[in-house]
Amino acid sequence: MGAGAPIANCLQRLYLLRHMADPPDPQARKIIHIDMDAFYASVEQRDNPALRGLPVAVGGSSRRGVVAAASYEARTFGVRSAMPSVTALRRCPDLVFVKPRFDVYQQVSRQIREIFAQHTDLIEPLSLDEAYLDVSSNRQAIASATQIAQLIRADIRRVTGLTASAGVSYNKFIAKLASDQNKPDGLCVIRPEQGAAFVAALPVKRFHGVGPRTADKMASFGIVTGADLAEKSEQWLLTHFGSWGSYLHGAARGIDNRPVRADRIRKSIGGERTYGEDIWAESALRDALESIADIVWERVERNEAQGRTVTLKARYADFQTITRARSLGQPVKGRSAFGQIGQSLIDQILPLQNGIRLLGLTLSGLSHSEDEDEADIRQPELPFG
Amino acid sequence: MKATIERATLLKSLSHVQSVVERRNTIPILSNVLIEASADGALRFMATDLDLQIVETMSAYSVETPGSITVSAHTLFEIARKLPDGSQVMLDAADGKMLVRAGRSRFTLPTLPRDDFPVIAEGELPTSFELAAAELVQIIDKTRFAISTEETRYYLNGIFLHVADDDRPVLKAAATDGHRLARVTLDRPDGAEGMPDVIVPRKCIGELRKLLDERGDAKVQIDLSASKIRFTLGSAILTSKLIDGTFPDYSRVIPTANDKLLKIDPKAFAQGVDRVATIATEKTRAVKMALENNKITLSVTSPENGTAAEEVEGEYSSDGFEIGFNARYLLDILGELDGDVIELHLADSSAPTLIRENDKASALYVLMPMRV
Repeated sequence: MGAGAPIANCLQRLYLLRHMADPPDPQARKIIHIDMDAFYASVEQRDNPALRGLPVAVGGSSRRGVVAAASYEARTFGVRSAMPSVTALRRCPDLVFVKPRFDVYQQVSRQIREIFAQHTDLIEPLSLDEAYLDVSSNRQAIASATQIAQLIRADIRRVTGLTASAGVSYNKFIAKLASDQNKPDGLCVIRPEQGAAFVAALPVKRFHGVGPRTADKMASFGIVTGADLAEKSEQWLLTHFGSWGSYLHGAARGIDNRPVRADRIRKSIGGERTYGEDIWAESALRDALESIADIVWERVERNEAQGRTVTLKARYADFQTITRARSLGQPVKGRSAFGQIGQSLIDQILPLQNGIRLLGLTLSGLSHSEDEDEADIRQPELPFG
Repeated sequence: MKATIERATLLKSLSHVQSVVERRNTIPILSNVLIEASADGALRFMATDLDLQIVETMSAYSVETPGSITVSAHTLFEIARKLPDGSQVMLDAADGKMLVRAGRSRFTLPTLPRDDFPVIAEGELPTSFELAAAELVQIIDKTRFAISTEETRYYLNGIFLHVADDDRPVLKAAATDGHRLARVTLDRPDGAEGMPDVIVPRKCIGELRKLLDERGDAKVQIDLSASKIRFTLGSAILTSKLIDGTFPDYSRVIPTANDKLLKIDPKAFAQGVDRVATIATEKTRAVKMALENNKITLSVTSPENGTAAEEVEGEYSSDGFEIGFNARYLLDILGELDGDVIELHLADSSAPTLIRENDKASALYVLMPMRV
């Protein structure tokens, strides 16, 4: 062999590290991400045949309203969830607005969670219509996660009359990207050996947590795809993106070790926005807060959550960040009360000493319907077939 | 229209009628009761929510002017409730108003014309039979707790009635919410042969049950088609639309081969379940039951509330195992079972369990276990 062998080995390892950062691992996890297709809108179209084939938006059509979900017909016009209803109507004048029926969505959500529970206890619901499942070991000892995903999709269709898309992969990050790949009514499998290449080709704006502002910032560094991101060192990412850098460093290589957490209990629901131009005027600040309150309250309703604490977060032009919070003796009753508390917190930061570049509003101290969800998962249905 | 009626008669009839009227109505006339006074001295009250309709006939003290009118059912009921006992109430409708007078009290109520009042078209009701009030009470009390309240599963929002030829001709009533099933079997009454399968809505069941309390041992006449059902209870007639849906083939979930038999005193069992359930979280209410040789151990473990355990006597000689149930579901069933000893037919911790007094009992329950 001679002295060349260790060097060759070393070079080979370097090559592997460079090109196959995530080598196939027989111990790899099997993660499924299930996402219902245009959930609220599909439920409405299922229950009201007159809506089928029409561009449908679930949400309020009022001036302040926000689209909670859009049917695929509406999406072809560029209507998206969380879009102000006014904008949606401008893009699609024939848009049909339907009031959300959260009790019905909640019931369908229970039905699909029961279907998940037939395969695994490791279910991490992200919302009513979306969940991660770890099926590495599963109740029916089915070896193929792809087969489980197909069974689940077929069961969802049979039981609810709705379609779901599934992503099958070896971690949460890629499973979620995969479920989006062949939507609607689609399935996409990304094997461990394909993970790094899949991520490399992906635009960074599709990475979880990369919003328009972060995408712009990355673009300014020449980072557009996962491959661009993978070229940056962890230290560089930590410097420019803070603690999030470590996650980005792994994600760019298709690595995500976050476990599927069945016991995950949401502690808060919130949202924030970074503004292209700093806000100085009180009226603009109040308007900005109302539009965040719309989006956050929609999430609160979607999760059937109740919370008692409202927190306002504001970041000034000089990046100084402050929070102001108020807690009530009982859960915040509705959208208008939520907005009023938010506005009273704005009072506390007036007059502005500096421009505001980011504003956020969070509801916490949640007393969820988690117990109910748990009860429903633990209580299976009689086998009517 | 002008008529006079005893306050007690008015109150009793209105109490039946007003509970059919929904509290909140988008169609104003649905808040109203239709009052018809005829020359022969009869007074007729009618109320509807468009799915359920009640008609009650009573004798007026006097009818001065025959005619008909509609007024707010809840308002008239409240007035009748507050009038002194023994008073006579005069109802006098003219010029879009109705005057209600009793003793020194006078009320003027707005009215809506009689012609706008919607009446459920019964159509032909070809199947007719009678049941004793006690039999109907039995059907309702032993099954109604299992009726589903999930609106998406509207076909489970009622009691399913159907006839069958088992070892004898029978009438069966079943209700389920998907977690538990309750079924009562009675001899098929004459006239029920060939009747269509029907699902009687929960609200109709509730109103019927109230009326049955006042029927004693009398018979109830039942007439039905595939879309409507009518119950005649003396002076009260309840007509309901039926749920337009298919009840699932519930016989599929009734276990026939459960080989583990537990015999137990339902009262002691229920008390034990109730006691240990004190610790269970409000929402899940899960109680674990460990069975081994004549020893039944009930237990609850809650991360927040602590633990509870209790041994209950029972007759059990099959292999030992553990199974979990929703305490509330179990108590609902145990509360409706007669006898000093009941049977639980079990298979394993995830299979439907059959609960009944014995194989002769008219009522049978199936309960899906919980994962504990």
